[in-house]
Amino acid sequence: MAGKSGTTPATYSPSLTTGKKKPLLLKEEDWTRPDGRGFHQCRPAFFRTGAVNAASGSAYAEFGNTKVIVSVFGPRESKKAMMYSDTGRLNCNVSYTTFSTPVRGQGSDHKEYSSMLHKALEGAIILDSFPKTTVDVFALVLESSGSDLPVVISVASLALADAGILMYDLVASVSVSCLGKNLVIDPIFEEENSQDGSLMITCMPSRYEITQLTVTGEWSTPKINEGMQLCLDACAKLAKIMRSCLKESASDAQDESS
Amino acid sequence: MSVPNAAATEDLSSEMEVDAFRRLFPLRYFERHLAESIRSDGRPLREARDTSIFLGAVASANGSALVKIGSTTMLTAIKMEVMIPSLESPDEGCLAIDFHMPPICSPIVRPGRPAEAEPVVSKQLSDTITSSGMIDLRELSLVGGKAAWMAYLDIYCLDADGSLFDAALLSAVAALSHLQIPAVAMNDDGKIVLMSDEDGQKQAKEQVNKEKRKLTLKSIPLSLTCILHKNYILADPTAEEESIVETHVTIILDTSGQLISLYKPGGPVLAYTSAIQDCVALTRQRVKELKSFLDKENSAMEVE
Repeated sequence: MAGKSGTTPATYSPSLTTGKKKPLLLKEEDWTRPDGRGFHQCRPAFFRTGAVNAASGSAYAEFGNTKVIVSVFGPRESKKAMMYSDTGRLNCNVSYTTFSTPVRGQGSDHKEYSSMLHKALEGAIILDSFPKTTVDVFALVLESSGSDLPVVISVASLALADAGILMYDLVASVSVSCLGKNLVIDPIFEEENSQDGSLMITCMPSRYEITQLTVTGEWSTPKINEGMQLCLDACAKLAKIMRSCLKESASDAQDESS
Repeated sequence: MSVPNAAATEDLSSEMEVDAFRRLFPLRYFERHLAESIRSDGRPLREARDTSIFLGAVASANGSALVKIGSTTMLTAIKMEVMIPSLESPDEGCLAIDFHMPPICSPIVRPGRPAEAEPVVSKQLSDTITSSGMIDLRELSLVGGKAAWMAYLDIYCLDADGSLFDAALLSAVAALSHLQIPAVAMNDDGKIVLMSDEDGQKQAKEQVNKEKRKLTLKSIPLSLTCILHKNYILADPTAEEESIVETHVTIILDTSGQLISLYKPGGPVLAYTSAIQDCVALTRQRVKELKSFLDKENSAMEVE
């Protein structure tokens, strides 16, 4: 988004030092990650359901500085123009705030992520349970600092669960970046920018089924296997955290009503 | 609305479940509460909802605030960028205010179809903040005629449950009070660069703004929205109440109690002077309360 200067008047955000840029990440063996994590260590994840009262269900998550909020609306009437359908429909949208990135953006919709989110969730939702209607899943990235899409997907499945939409399982998503010889899990923005390749897995951990797998860049077969195993293990752990968040909010609700 | 007749719904109300009655006859449900001098969320008629302010919610912004009034939630962040000031006002910076209602905030907003309230609140906010004289734009100047700050103030509604303008204004004001203007210098090319601590020693650069500083806020505008129904005045309405009653009065005062603006955009109830006076009195009380919340948050920030 940097360098776009279509707005009037033209403005720029002052950089720290002009000319010399921060040295890029080293790709040697003894390199440490900018936030001091181990290569195979995820950022601490925080989840909370019921963030937006106006929605049928919602969830908020923080992974380091990546902060995402997802609202679920419906099932509600499909758009008039839609054809009749025996199964329910899923409609997804991902957008960013203008202040989510270090340089102020336009805060527009992210079409690519919207369709990726749709495809990642579609297989996990029991669409037959809400025929003729639509469930809307809207995500807003409040602050972006790497691994945005996997975070959005995980939070969205939590929001769907909060809304009481039937699913086969929670959906958890994790990505790894390949930097030289190293695989780093749950990469931050700087790491994503200098990566040689990335791999993202979205899965339903209790069923051991994958709903989405994307691989970009240069990978060797053993590296892919290693990366997949890393992601699957991390997804299983992530789903545990998500499940405990759901249990907590359910028991809170029970306490209130009794 | 097609209420068959009052007597029929009266009877129904004893048979029907409360939730069903609420959805089918919202007006009657609302009026029954008013008769008991209470609102459906348990509030007295003229009381505002619980309000909380959290400063510094967005780490990457120069100033930010998260405000909640009941369930209505607003997140505001200010990003400072540099621009070349216009010829007409070479010694002034600029403040751009934008109000956003993303689809997450309410079932009535859909992607690609912005809510009606979005441009309305946006315009009201910029009018209020510029006309209140809260900010002296000359404070945003860096080098006369060459460089000045452009402050992008973006307000996001995360949860819409009524009184959007009040919450948006409070979060905008809170973010402005939290704003820290970064220390910058001008390099040889005439570009403004940020100063880190090590650069502080270098003499080659011309320092423009030596230290991080805050804006001086002269008078702070704060507001309260009331809805009028028959002879009742209800402060700080929820989305449900706003959908039933169409007469709104929004009053904006500054912290010294002076009137900045008053919106009464039509509606079926004609407001008598006494009603308006009551609203102003309620607003005066509310502004005091909000100011003390704001001061408390700001002094807590300074201790840290």
